[in-house]
Amino acid sequence: MIVFWVMFALLALYMVRTIKGPAMWDRLLGLNLISTKIIVIIIVVASIYGKPFLLDFAIIYALSGFIGTIFLALFLSERRLGKQRGNKDGY
Amino acid sequence: MGIENIRHLIGNIIIYIGAAFMVFGVVGLFRLKDFYPRILVASKIDTVGVLTLITGFAIRHGLSFFTGKLFLIMVIMLILNPLVAHIVARSAYLSGHKVNGIAGGTPALPELDENGE
Repeated sequence: MIVFWVMFALLALYMVRTIKGPAMWDRLLGLNLISTKIIVIIIVVASIYGKPFLLDFAIIYALSGFIGTIFLALFLSERRLGKQRGNKDGY
Repeated sequence: MGIENIRHLIGNIIIYIGAAFMVFGVVGLFRLKDFYPRILVASKIDTVGVLTLITGFAIRHGLSFFTGKLFLIMVIMLILNPLVAHIVARSAYLSGHKVNGIAGGTPALPELDENGE
């Protein structure tokens, strides 16, 4: 049970870093870490209730969360590269 | 002292160790000033923390479907977490986030000439 609340505290701390982060990459890093924390919270809940089907949520969320972060990072890097090449909307 | 609660005990200890890893990750996240060391520390410790936690839960639940799924999550985390950290750091570097740890900071990108190499 304690791990459950520790994870929520970590989540809040990562949230602070994501909001405060100077560069937008810190925000991306914060998002990535928050999704990991949520996976751990799902695992803890599934373990407490002893229901194995809850773990499917963790698996699906892990895959989709990471894919989202990957494409967000690619999108951000393309945008600034595009600006360097001079077209104004960044592609 | 049945074998049951010895296993629970060991599992709990490993879970707390994993949680301690995660707390260190947060400390690293807030103390480091620059982005690159921060992403290095945070993602590495985070992955290790998740793995220890999952092994702890796996030990707690013994051999069952639960542990099988936990093992699947462990494999996913093992592969994807460093991958995402690499991609984020690469996209940060590619789009000009200066690495100011090294003397003077290396230019992130050779100046793009007109057709963008």
